[in-house]
Amino acid sequence: MANEIFMPKLSSTMEEGVILDWFKEEGDEIETGEPIFEIMTDKINIEVESYHDGILLKKYFHKDDTVPVNHVIGFIGEQGEEVPDTPPASDEESSADESSSPEQETAAPAQEPETEVSTEKVRATPAARAAAREKNVSLHNVSGSGPKGRIHKADVLSSGSQGKSTPLAEKMASHHGIDTKNVEGTGAGGKVMKNDINALLAESSENRPENVTESLRGVRKVTAERMADSSSTIPHVTMDFEVDMEQVIRLREALKSSVEKATGQKLSYNEIFVLAVSKALQRHPDINITYDKETITYHNEVNVGVAVAVEENLYVPVLKNTERKSLSMLADELKPLIFNTREGRIDSASMQGGTFTISNLGMFAIDSFTPIINKPQGAILGISRMKEVPVVKEGEVKVSSVTTFSLSFDHRVINGAPAAAFCTTLKNLLEEPYELLV
Amino acid sequence: MKTFDIAIIGGGPGGYEAAIRASSFGKKVALIESGHMGGTCLNTGCIPSKTLLRHSEILEDMKQAKDWGIETGDLKLDWSKMASRQNKVVRTLRSGVEGLMKKHKVTVLRGKGYLEPQNAPEGHTINVISDKEEEKIEAAKVIIATGSKPSLPPIEGLDDVDVHTSDSIFSIEELPSSIVIVGGGIIGVEFATIFSSLGVHVTIVELGERLIPTEDEEAASVIRDKLKKSGVDVRVNLSVASVAKEASGKSTRVLLSDESSLETDMLLVATGRHPNTEVIQNTSIDLQKGYIKTNGKLETSLPGVYAIGDVNGKIQLAHTASAEGLVAVNNASGKPVQTIDYHTVPKCVYTLPEIASVGLTEEEARSSYKDVKVSKIPYSSNGKALSSGNTEGFVKIVAEEQFGEILGVTMVGSHVTEMISESVAFMNLEGTVEELAQTVHPHPTLSEAMFEAANNWLNMGIHH
Repeated sequence: MANEIFMPKLSSTMEEGVILDWFKEEGDEIETGEPIFEIMTDKINIEVESYHDGILLKKYFHKDDTVPVNHVIGFIGEQGEEVPDTPPASDEESSADESSSPEQETAAPAQEPETEVSTEKVRATPAARAAAREKNVSLHNVSGSGPKGRIHKADVLSSGSQGKSTPLAEKMASHHGIDTKNVEGTGAGGKVMKNDINALLAESSENRPENVTESLRGVRKVTAERMADSSSTIPHVTMDFEVDMEQVIRLREALKSSVEKATGQKLSYNEIFVLAVSKALQRHPDINITYDKETITYHNEVNVGVAVAVEENLYVPVLKNTERKSLSMLADELKPLIFNTREGRIDSASMQGGTFTISNLGMFAIDSFTPIINKPQGAILGISRMKEVPVVKEGEVKVSSVTTFSLSFDHRVINGAPAAAFCTTLKNLLEEPYELLV
Repeated sequence: MKTFDIAIIGGGPGGYEAAIRASSFGKKVALIESGHMGGTCLNTGCIPSKTLLRHSEILEDMKQAKDWGIETGDLKLDWSKMASRQNKVVRTLRSGVEGLMKKHKVTVLRGKGYLEPQNAPEGHTINVISDKEEEKIEAAKVIIATGSKPSLPPIEGLDDVDVHTSDSIFSIEELPSSIVIVGGGIIGVEFATIFSSLGVHVTIVELGERLIPTEDEEAASVIRDKLKKSGVDVRVNLSVASVAKEASGKSTRVLLSDESSLETDMLLVATGRHPNTEVIQNTSIDLQKGYIKTNGKLETSLPGVYAIGDVNGKIQLAHTASAEGLVAVNNASGKPVQTIDYHTVPKCVYTLPEIASVGLTEEEARSSYKDVKVSKIPYSSNGKALSSGNTEGFVKIVAEEQFGEILGVTMVGSHVTEMISESVAFMNLEGTVEELAQTVHPHPTLSEAMFEAANNWLNMGIHH
């Protein structure tokens, strides 16, 4: 008879596993101890070995499929043996029971405590277990009437009336992704009826507007892919540092009118931040880098990208050669760049060539955040809101405006110390900003 | 004063079944009935008409049998024997109901019951008036099941001619040579079937544009064609302007709204029924369009007083009254509240062939659901229908497309009034077309048409 291959239960909390890879195809020969497939749990990845010799007769699930523990994944047997077309009902109880041996062993190291098969035991008679298998009832959900709560066949059979639903209700529930077990049924014996599903739907639609599902397109799709790529491939480290903004505020007040006179634009903190970042990057060329696979490029010019949110989309237009620009030049350039981005009038060339990015959320009630690096750049600076806090200056508590800056950097190519040094330089430049004008 | 837990006013199918159920709940029950036990259904409705329709069925079979080589010579019809069989059937059933009352220890009070104005918060007083005496009883809960009676439309001259309603037509001593039936609803077409099969010349005058307007149009047209084929004169879009006695004194002249006129031996008015609400005339219980108003629990505006059957105007059918009676008793007995799903109440029309339906008609379904799919299977392709020579008719499943919810079923043909129960069960248990299509039906039976219709609905028909 063909032997079942189960999704192993590798820890007491494991409920399901994802098949990462199959090492064998249907029809392949398998020897005992040979790995058949690899799974991922919420905790570990592990190769599952065969407990039998034979031919892999059936694979019910494919790569990336999520399978509940103790669910039949496939069959190993002799050539030509017949196996069901669909996986048989899962049999949680039998493998949770000490008396039955697990069908395969895992290659997990023995000292790994999480790989121990659960010993949570359900007391049930063999007839009850058979009935539970047949009725596809989990013994965990049946209360036993026997001694010490042992489950008898009658308990399994009578439990069947709970959680029943009419065919119509079942179809509606499955369409709307509702588990009928969680629905209070008003039919005979608590059976879930059409109206119970409708009531639930009406209730949930009263509480919130209908969900909108749309496919990701264009900029959003690119953003999603880049974020995931960056977040999953770059070891991000984020450093937060507080900057006393009193001097920056003063500087802006002092230069506002002259910048406006020269450019017609109002000087905003953004220009000051870009200027300070550019000066700091010049002093720390090991931060002003791009990293592409095997090569690091140290850039002579500083090209600062500024993240701009336009409705659901995120754009990062780039200001070029900012190390050579004055505040008024920056204001003259940055204001139209942001305006054009918001108006949707920006070409892709204006968003390329960045060596560093600034993401300013200062207009929101954000005290700090972890920006995600804009690949292939080496770092990104997040700027949170300015707020008045008590600070100690020269032994006295004073009220001061403070902003938290958060630098995320790619720890593959930037070490902690140079990053921290850059942060310190930036902090000093902002706290004594007249140096910027030098 | 006698006191009871529950008093039921009216001993028709709603009232007497409620009485039995109340008794089985251990209640002390009074049932008040002024006429015969069994009400309209048993005495002047369902039962006598079905007894007579059985005669029609046999006559039809005999006509058909002649073509098949079974001849009996000249047919002789003896109306008095038919009428006496009808009376015997009615008496047998009536005494059965009376026996049930005794068995369940229901106190039957003879007389008309009138609900008195409530003078105590607990309990209601009912004045039971008969020819001989007047008696007051008290009951904690009251169920009004007084039913309805045929209503006469305001037709000029109606008071001066002999006019029958369904109340009197079963007592006629001899068959007329011709009859004009005013009203082409269910009652009208059933009587047209009975009388035409007995050789009476029948004319139906219907105000609407078609016969049996409450039923599926296709189904109604099968009946119309069949009646016409049997020689019934079907006049639609017409009303009766006036009636008058002919000079001979024997026949009646019927003047129609198109100014044509008919001379007829007998006039039967079957234009509808009027609720019997005298029972609450001394109270302030609310009415709605002339019927006693009830809520979902079937309770009237006066707490503790319930109204079931024809008098509440929901669905005027005996089985609805019975179902309501049981629900009202349940609710009056303080058990977990029950309500009635009126969507799955079946309707039967006993013509030849019969019509049976449940749920929405195709037309109703299309107006209230977005995606409706209909599957219709004719009887003419069914083996049992062919072998028994009953090929007239069809079954039609009306279902919502997304989930296959069965919204309605209409059947026309032989034995469909028996077959409709399968559809009622499916709808009640919320089975969909898919489960119906997977249900094994016995062969050879007429019921296989349902199996075929369900599979055809799924585009998986075997014979279609």
